[in-house]
Amino acid sequence: MKLVRYHNSPLYDPSANYTSLRDEMDRLFDVAFPALSTLQREGFFGELQGQFPMDLYQEKEAVVVRAELPGFRKEDLEVEIADGVLTITGHQKTESKGDDAKKAGVTTQERRVSRAISLPEHLTLDKIQATYENGVLTVRLPKSEAVKPKQIAIDVK
Amino acid sequence: MSLLTKNETKAPVTRTVTPRYDVRETGDAYVLTALVPGVERSSLETTVDGETLTVTGRRTFTVPEGWTAVHREIPQVDYRLVLEIDRRFNRDGIKAELSQGVLTLTLPKAEAVKPRKIEILG
Repeated sequence: MKLVRYHNSPLYDPSANYTSLRDEMDRLFDVAFPALSTLQREGFFGELQGQFPMDLYQEKEAVVVRAELPGFRKEDLEVEIADGVLTITGHQKTESKGDDAKKAGVTTQERRVSRAISLPEHLTLDKIQATYENGVLTVRLPKSEAVKPKQIAIDVK
Repeated sequence: MSLLTKNETKAPVTRTVTPRYDVRETGDAYVLTALVPGVERSSLETTVDGETLTVTGRRTFTVPEGWTAVHREIPQVDYRLVLEIDRRFNRDGIKAELSQGVLTLTLPKAEAVKPRKIEILG
């Protein structure tokens, strides 16, 4: 078990210099009462805060990021890597005509969510795979050869 | 609003969470949208029993062997939404659609509550 300082957590937003007490309390409540957190968010999709839950996994050959982004079209999602920071953005504009004769005209709904995480080093950036299934985006970032555990045969003389 | 969350009398066997949902009214139906990311079509179930509409969705993702979680925010709980539907709904015509973690349920209004025009005679 490695002890890692909380602020060095990979999902710690590098653009923020500190985590406010309020954020800390929000986080605590989100973890303890997941159902409650949906209540406090405004708007159905809760996109006003531009946040969505994310998981980060390590496996032997790769680092895997899973993000819950329900209701997007594939082309509305963007995965970008620059300078060791992975940014996932969802941007969607939907235009719906009023179903009612009373509400004539077109309603435009726009939602934009974005999150950035800093990545560990030693990843093969050109072999990244991203899939979107059941509203969950999975990004697989293979580790470069240098950090993969390797078996080294020892010759016994 | 005629769709109310029904208090569950029996304690659920497994821990579940109520998905976020929204109900819109159109001319001849109510359209319910619920966010159930991580749920496949085969693990989603919508049942109508008497006056109760139940939607259950199981998350199909399990952490594969050999993966270590570094950071987790996605709750590993299944979804369960229990709503009361009264006579204003035509329960035979309920349609369900699941697309990228968004469930859309169309609950047609019963004939009795549909708006209708009455011709004026004479």
